[in-house]
Amino acid sequence: MQAEKSTRPRQVWQWADVRRRKLGMWAYTLNRVSGLGLVLYLFIHLAVLRLLAGGPAAWDNFLALVRSPLFLVLDVVLLAGLLIHGLNGIRLTITGLGIGVPAHKTWFLALMAAALILSAAGAIAIFTM
Amino acid sequence: MENTVDTHTARPRAGLSSLSWLAQAISGVALIVLAGLHMVANHFVVEGGLRNFADAQAYLSHPVILPLEILFLIGVTIHALLGVRAILFDLGLSDQAEVRVTQALAVIGIVTIGYGLWLTWVVITF
Amino acid sequence: MAIQVPIKVFRYRPGTAPHFERYQVTVPDDATVIDVIEGVWAEHDRNFMFRHACHHASCGTCAVRLNGYERLPCIVPVTEALAGRQELVVEPLRNFPLVGDLVVDVAGFFQKQAASGLVITRAAEATLSGQPFAHSELFSQAGALEERAYNRFENCIECGICISACPTMAATDKFWGPAALAGIRRATLTTGDCQEKAALLALADSEQGVWRCHSAFECTESCPQDVDPGGAIMSLRREIVGRKVKHLFGAG
Repeated sequence: MQAEKSTRPRQVWQWADVRRRKLGMWAYTLNRVSGLGLVLYLFIHLAVLRLLAGGPAAWDNFLALVRSPLFLVLDVVLLAGLLIHGLNGIRLTITGLGIGVPAHKTWFLALMAAALILSAAGAIAIFTM
Repeated sequence: MENTVDTHTARPRAGLSSLSWLAQAISGVALIVLAGLHMVANHFVVEGGLRNFADAQAYLSHPVILPLEILFLIGVTIHALLGVRAILFDLGLSDQAEVRVTQALAVIGIVTIGYGLWLTWVVITF
Repeated sequence: MAIQVPIKVFRYRPGTAPHFERYQVTVPDDATVIDVIEGVWAEHDRNFMFRHACHHASCGTCAVRLNGYERLPCIVPVTEALAGRQELVVEPLRNFPLVGDLVVDVAGFFQKQAASGLVITRAAEATLSGQPFAHSELFSQAGALEERAYNRFENCIECGICISACPTMAATDKFWGPAALAGIRRATLTTGDCQEKAALLALADSEQGVWRCHSAFECTESCPQDVDPGGAIMSLRREIVGRKVKHLFGAG
């Protein structure tokens, strides 16, 4: 059995390969990629907040930098990531408990449309405040 | 056929099984509320989109906000690390490696939450 | 009318590097893709390895990846497979050990299938207890197949297509996989034995059971027999969680 096992090609990146796959696979991969992005952001965010320990001097100087348009664009990306991952997560929770499973693709499209609209609204709010 | 798995005698490793999925779902649903609050409070309603030190201090010292932000810290850490665990498991780990990954992520989670609590304490008492 | 079909085929032998080879095969224009695969063997290379048996989608033996997607080549017309393409591309199923060319080792897959107690899953053959279904259990007076919650799984032909399509199967052989979990789901519906049912649900609830599914629903999408393993996994989850909630409140 051992020798046979070694002839099974590893497909570690199959989860990221959406070529020719159907909508459910795209939803799954989108959820994973957005999730990984948010984890990365979380730890960068926590590391940056370390500046708060330096009091107003350290923190308020840093704020001047992150209020620049470049960082505001990143804010919009973060908001879109949260909306995509969060709304898709609602679908996964509900269908994952066996509710509304046959309609999972309709759910996905509707929730992603909502994510798009809310991201656009958020972008307008971020840039006009 | 040798090595056939017998339903009646095989005792599959329970591991976290449903707990990992349920914790992920429950923390995820909670995060929709908590992350929503965090984003609106810290990025939308304040002047210039971000709080200066004095604003952040006042915000975190609020008796209702503080527990919600701590809950957010714990929820987001659990949700993030359970997600990382699921992705790492999909690298095709051995049973032993799966246990070690779970333990390592638990340590990272405790350190992360501890760091967040410490930072909150430093800001409030500055 | 005969047509010339260009085909690019995955070739492999243990100890050699996998590679593709191109052939031209002549088949009638109403042929299916399995005819082209057989043509590679008949016209070009008698050492070419592939599996086939029934030629009408009831044995599940010939499953391959056709143009990058899991199909039963015995029911795909050549003209459909070639539409908008220069050539057919035929590869073995993913997520199985390779034996040679298009042949993969399905032994581990069948062991997992056996775990549900449903080695043979079609309605006309046998039940969990080994006793054949009575005709009256299967068919109404009018001769129609009785509607039962588990009718759909009885369509499973154990072709392994869902295993190749599933992104979690790609990561680990430990996962029970869509077909076996669909089998477990069906067995929970057919058994009248509470202990048997609890054992089956425990199997589904284990670390490598339903909770490793990431809801990509590729199994359901690719299944040539509409078995809906993804739906079966979600139904198992609902039942498991329902039982846990009941147990929590002392009703279990």
